[in-house]
Amino acid sequence: MRDGVSPHFAIIYQVSGAVIGELMQTEQDTLKTTPNRLHPKQGEVIDRSTTIRFTFDGVKYIAHPGDTVASALTAAGVKVLSRSFKYHRPRGLLCCAGHCPNCLVQIGDEPNVRACMRSVEAGMDVRAQNVWPSLNRDLLSLTQLGSRLMPVGFYYKTFIRPKKLWPLYEHTLRHAAGLGEVDIDTPSGKFDKQYLHTDVVVVGSGPAGISAALGAAEGGAQVLLFDENSALGGHLRFTVPLHSSLPSQVSKDLPELLEALSQQPNVTAFTDTSVLGWYQDNWLCAAKGARLFKIRTKSVVVATGAYETPLIFDNNDLPGVMLGSAAQRLLHLFGVLPGRQVVIVTANEDGWDVAADLQALGVNVAAIVDEREHNACSSPYRDGLANIGVPVFYRHTIREAIGSSAVSGAKIVRLDGRGEIAPATTQVLQCDLIVTSMGWTPATELLYMAGGKSEYSADRAETVPVSTPPGIYVAGRAAGIHAVDSQITEAWQAGSNAATFAGFGEFDELAAQASDISEPRRTSERVCVPGKKKRFVCYCEDVTDEDVETAIAEGYDSIELLKRYSTISMGPCQGAMCSMNTIHLCARANGRTVQETGTTTARPPIAPVTLGALAGQNVEPVQTTPIHQWHLDHGANMMVAGLWLRPNHYGDPAAEAVCVRKQGGLIDVSPLGKLQLTGPGVPKLLERIYTNQWHNLRVGRVRYGVMCNDEGVVLNDGVCAHLKDETWYMTTTSTGATAVFEWLQWWLQSGWGEGVHLTDLTDTYAAFNLAGPQSRTVLEKLTARNLANKAFPYMRIRSAKIADVPCQLLRIGFTGELAYEVHCPSGYALHVWEALMDVGRELGIAPFGLEAQRILRLEKGHIIVGQDTDAMSDPLSANMAWAVKLNKPDFLGKPSLMRISAEGPKQLLVGFKMVDPDVVPAEGLQVVAPEVDGRLKIIGWVTSSRFSPTLEEAIGLCWLPADLASQNGASFTIRMGGDLKAAHVHHGAFYDPSGERLRM
Amino acid sequence: MLLLTCPNCGDRNVSEFRFGGEYGPRPKDPSATSDAEWANYLYMRHNVMGAQTEWWHHSDGCGLWFLAERYTRTNEVIKTFPYVKRDA
Amino acid sequence: MSIQLIRQAFNGNRPPPKMWRSHELKEYYDVVIIGGGAHGLACAYYLAKEHGITDVAVLEKSYIGAGGSGRNTAIIRSNYLTSEGVRFYNQSVKLYEQLSDELNFNVMFSQRGHLTLAHTDGGVNTMRRRAEVNQIEGVDSRLIFPDDIKSLCPYLDVSDHPRYPILAALYHPPGGIIRHDAVVWGYAHQADVRGVHIHQNTEVTGIKVQDGKVTGVETTRGHIKTGTVLNATAGWASTITAMVGVKLPLTTIPLQACVTEPLKPFLDVVVVSGSLHVYISQTDRGELVMGASVDPFSSYSMAGSLAFLEGIAGHVLELFPSLSHVRILRQWAGICEMPPDYSPIMGFTPVNGFLIDVGWGTYGFKASPIAGKTLAELIATGKPPILIVPFRLSRFEENDLVGEKGAAAVGH
Repeated sequence: MRDGVSPHFAIIYQVSGAVIGELMQTEQDTLKTTPNRLHPKQGEVIDRSTTIRFTFDGVKYIAHPGDTVASALTAAGVKVLSRSFKYHRPRGLLCCAGHCPNCLVQIGDEPNVRACMRSVEAGMDVRAQNVWPSLNRDLLSLTQLGSRLMPVGFYYKTFIRPKKLWPLYEHTLRHAAGLGEVDIDTPSGKFDKQYLHTDVVVVGSGPAGISAALGAAEGGAQVLLFDENSALGGHLRFTVPLHSSLPSQVSKDLPELLEALSQQPNVTAFTDTSVLGWYQDNWLCAAKGARLFKIRTKSVVVATGAYETPLIFDNNDLPGVMLGSAAQRLLHLFGVLPGRQVVIVTANEDGWDVAADLQALGVNVAAIVDEREHNACSSPYRDGLANIGVPVFYRHTIREAIGSSAVSGAKIVRLDGRGEIAPATTQVLQCDLIVTSMGWTPATELLYMAGGKSEYSADRAETVPVSTPPGIYVAGRAAGIHAVDSQITEAWQAGSNAATFAGFGEFDELAAQASDISEPRRTSERVCVPGKKKRFVCYCEDVTDEDVETAIAEGYDSIELLKRYSTISMGPCQGAMCSMNTIHLCARANGRTVQETGTTTARPPIAPVTLGALAGQNVEPVQTTPIHQWHLDHGANMMVAGLWLRPNHYGDPAAEAVCVRKQGGLIDVSPLGKLQLTGPGVPKLLERIYTNQWHNLRVGRVRYGVMCNDEGVVLNDGVCAHLKDETWYMTTTSTGATAVFEWLQWWLQSGWGEGVHLTDLTDTYAAFNLAGPQSRTVLEKLTARNLANKAFPYMRIRSAKIADVPCQLLRIGFTGELAYEVHCPSGYALHVWEALMDVGRELGIAPFGLEAQRILRLEKGHIIVGQDTDAMSDPLSANMAWAVKLNKPDFLGKPSLMRISAEGPKQLLVGFKMVDPDVVPAEGLQVVAPEVDGRLKIIGWVTSSRFSPTLEEAIGLCWLPADLASQNGASFTIRMGGDLKAAHVHHGAFYDPSGERLRM
Repeated sequence: MLLLTCPNCGDRNVSEFRFGGEYGPRPKDPSATSDAEWANYLYMRHNVMGAQTEWWHHSDGCGLWFLAERYTRTNEVIKTFPYVKRDA
Repeated sequence: MSIQLIRQAFNGNRPPPKMWRSHELKEYYDVVIIGGGAHGLACAYYLAKEHGITDVAVLEKSYIGAGGSGRNTAIIRSNYLTSEGVRFYNQSVKLYEQLSDELNFNVMFSQRGHLTLAHTDGGVNTMRRRAEVNQIEGVDSRLIFPDDIKSLCPYLDVSDHPRYPILAALYHPPGGIIRHDAVVWGYAHQADVRGVHIHQNTEVTGIKVQDGKVTGVETTRGHIKTGTVLNATAGWASTITAMVGVKLPLTTIPLQACVTEPLKPFLDVVVVSGSLHVYISQTDRGELVMGASVDPFSSYSMAGSLAFLEGIAGHVLELFPSLSHVRILRQWAGICEMPPDYSPIMGFTPVNGFLIDVGWGTYGFKASPIAGKTLAELIATGKPPILIVPFRLSRFEENDLVGEKGAAAVGH
């Protein structure tokens, strides 16, 4: 076996030389002693050779490495660890397995930490949560006094009137609720993720899990074994197996199993690792601290064990009422006594095991209260314990835990022949610990997520798996098997089957059949003992059995409605402690069976998982151009544009714009989408995907085109050049590049691809637009190519070497000036850019950013797809009718555009100028028309606006009703703040409307 | 996570693919469609809760657009197959 | 303190009153509403209360509120992009404001304010456009900038370090969150009180149509005769509408959400980021409820994905870096049917007597009261109220779509 994370196999067995009495003499006055720490014993996980210190609510405590926060506090005699959610009742250790809410604490800046699972670290600052002013004197516990007025769902029935006061009530409710606190200064922390691929995953490393892993590995499969605890072994680490007659000695089976595992190279084990969920196609997720595992496996063995089921009785939430398995964990793993005088309440042999353990360790067993008849008990300790005088009450159960903030006694009652409480049989027993061992709820979340189904067996009072999807196997207590021998045998076969499913070996149908397990029943059908005080079903939300009955009587009678109304199982335990008991109560109240009542849906994560672990390193993708660093080095102000980071400006965008008009400028347009299309079919394709004509575009020429979808909505625009015979070069908008590539791939592959080959060159080429009257002069200094207007006119493409780098030059310009777009291989981008800048600088050329480009294009009245158009805009309305040829054969969007054209567009995109030239209406402002009643009617909106440094006035584009937009000079008003500002329609470009400067 | 079988590349995580919607061919002669027929093509969908034939694009892979049959209630993929042009 | 509670407290063993009753399926109902969610139950309630139509059956295949009503992230707002959308949702918010009183059931509408963050120039422009439309339509909504954002929500990282720096936000003070289940239960109760029959665990298996007119409904519990059927099964609407041979412009896609363990209150407002596809709020119980945009492919499965959890965790930490230790407790999914223009489809269909209340995408729960009220009016009078005329099914043939798609993809 290999350890999944650290190279060393976890050390489970450690016998330390340290002895009881861990008090540091020098700090006797401030440090708490550990009166409940036992002598060293085999199997414990603490290292007694050293001590570490931590604080709980400011008080100093000591612990040993290996202690959990909860075990160390219990060793020091601390019983109250938290306060409950609604009534603020004191709560202490219940499950000691990370499944209940009772030990949730704040540790430093981390809220809602399960103290029973978190190892103590030196200097830890542990605090109680949601208490005021302190854990032991929490004034909010006064809410209990009014608890009759706060039944389940009370908040739905009150605070309704007067409505004005609801915010105040709500404020109070909010501040009484919540558990841990978020520290605003919490550092981001380091988290990561790991992918794992395997044949078989085994979840849970109890005897069943280990055996399943061995069974699968022996078949040749690679196996990953996960356990949420700090070491492998499951319940064998702290229970006495039935066939052992020696109390308080850990089973010999575990070392043997671990030894076998260590010899098996096909198994990799992960401890402290919670499997969080099963997702489609055997995709599992697990977390170990700050690391998230994403696992793809061929098959899964669910050996997740079972939750010990609490009993519902008066004051069953009092600190000192504990599950049997919790007591055993404290004793065996941490050498901590959970109490001095114990009453054991049980219905199975597990309770007797606990009694034997505690008795052997010197705890006074005040009574064993077994609801069964004497002859139903087959515990090997039965006679031994009776012989040494331990009082045993058969056919009895507990009625109430006595005590205010911790257990000081137990009221027990006799049961009559029908199992009901016999009147006037109450006895009071002194004790400081009540242990309940009433039975088990199989941990079937993973099985259910994977699509498995269980049925309730009334004989066993447990659910038993009845169907599992292909590749999913169940073993151990999750499968309803409690006896260790059977667990080991059956699980081995489950593991072997899982390996077979994963493709290892032949399927042995006979061996694969699960044998009939007949075991003594482990779980009582009694979930609740009626009484007069509060009896908690749900510890997280403080829901009592009476609350459940009330909710059902009100009509919330299905398990799902009951859950939502009472909030049962919606707290931190997610139903681990309460789901089975709730189903029993619901079934009884409705007069239905447990099977008919059903369960709520199991939802991931099975164990709560931090946002940090889920996020991992949390790297949001960023795209930068090949000369990104140059921009940063030259003071560029960068902006987010889709995934890209691009220079917005280099200090003064208006000056950059003026510079382009007067001398020239250079902009990095590398994010433009760049596609190469080759083959004889290209012209036909272009005709279909663009709205204008392409078959007549001669080699060396460039044309602007608009792409629509079949709704007639503008998808993208750009230019396309006919490079040579069967080669075309298309550019798209920066943010739409990927979408256009996929769009074209779709049409090519779904029927229009004959004779076309498409290549995405977006990242292959960088692109710079050199714009302005001096641009030709600049380029001429870097190339031998004849750039004269006649040789290389507007809307042409030429190959040329620029600064010795082979480039494509496109004579196009968004800015309205003489301009060349230089497309060069990305690897030479910096060289070409710097060459252009070096030459250009002398001629007054400066880099410009997106903001200057936006000004310049607006002066020309060019639209930006996505800014001036949205997901509903068609090109006829967007003032691009000139680019739509409805008389050509079918193209994308034609039928829709024909319909729009026939009806006439309702709205048009049009240029405008302000009557007051200094007023720039912000983009997004609405064009309004006052109505007779004084209200404003929205008739359009401003999509683009800037103060034009060239024209020295405000200009813009807006949507207007078609009739208004079509009248050049027509007036309209834009709402700005409280005022209406006058504007008028402007047809044509604001700057150089005849386009002379482009063609210089 | 769902596994999809790309006809070129084999089993891959669904996160490598882009969903292309339910299969619905473009009318043969779009200009001849009635308003209702054109709206039916543009907008109306069977949207079945059951086996659906649909487009997928291996966008973070080979770039193939292909078809899949999938149960939309369970996401179980029945089969995947390359598109074969049925008419010119 | 309500009298009801005091009575309940001192009533000893007397059972509390039933919120709704069970009934045998009658042979005939004047109106059959398919879908026991907030929309269907609201419609039943308004039919009974405002139009005196009480012979109404609400058929729910599972338990009431099992669909989108109980799975959404309970955000209420009216700061839409189009005038049609704003007017409609503004009426909804107004009804929600009165709902606890009207239903005598506290639906806990918490108008704590709603922030939609803008991370790009384009995003800022869209927010300004929405703010302007909202203001003109009389809805409190305005553009605010990082200083104000920080004071409303101190845990947000408004520095310029993040990948998507926060440039501005659309602030909508009347927006907030509500107890979604309570809306369902409150409507169910008041509908029941007025004589409406709520049939849970009653699945519709067929709809009878004769000569182009609805005559009855087949269910798993038997046949019902009726002349009026309302399909209020958003998510599953295509499957019901297919029973009468009508195709809808809908694609059903899961929408996922998750919730954290309870924390002491620190987040007062609802925060939405379109660029990061996330929305987050803190419930009165202290949990953070978070959601994202719809799933990447269509499905009726509500299984949920790990990719969703990973994505949303990253995006939430991008906005709130101090939440890295906060734990996710539970994830779930609902299903949404997306129409092409991100606007609902309400009213008549080509089948006489078969009405639809569908296409509710990711914005249905917010509209429950007004959708119920307007549809009740439509059923009672036969005339579509002006508020829902833009949402008619025929708009797709008439090339008259509603422009709500222009807003960001995540609109919670």
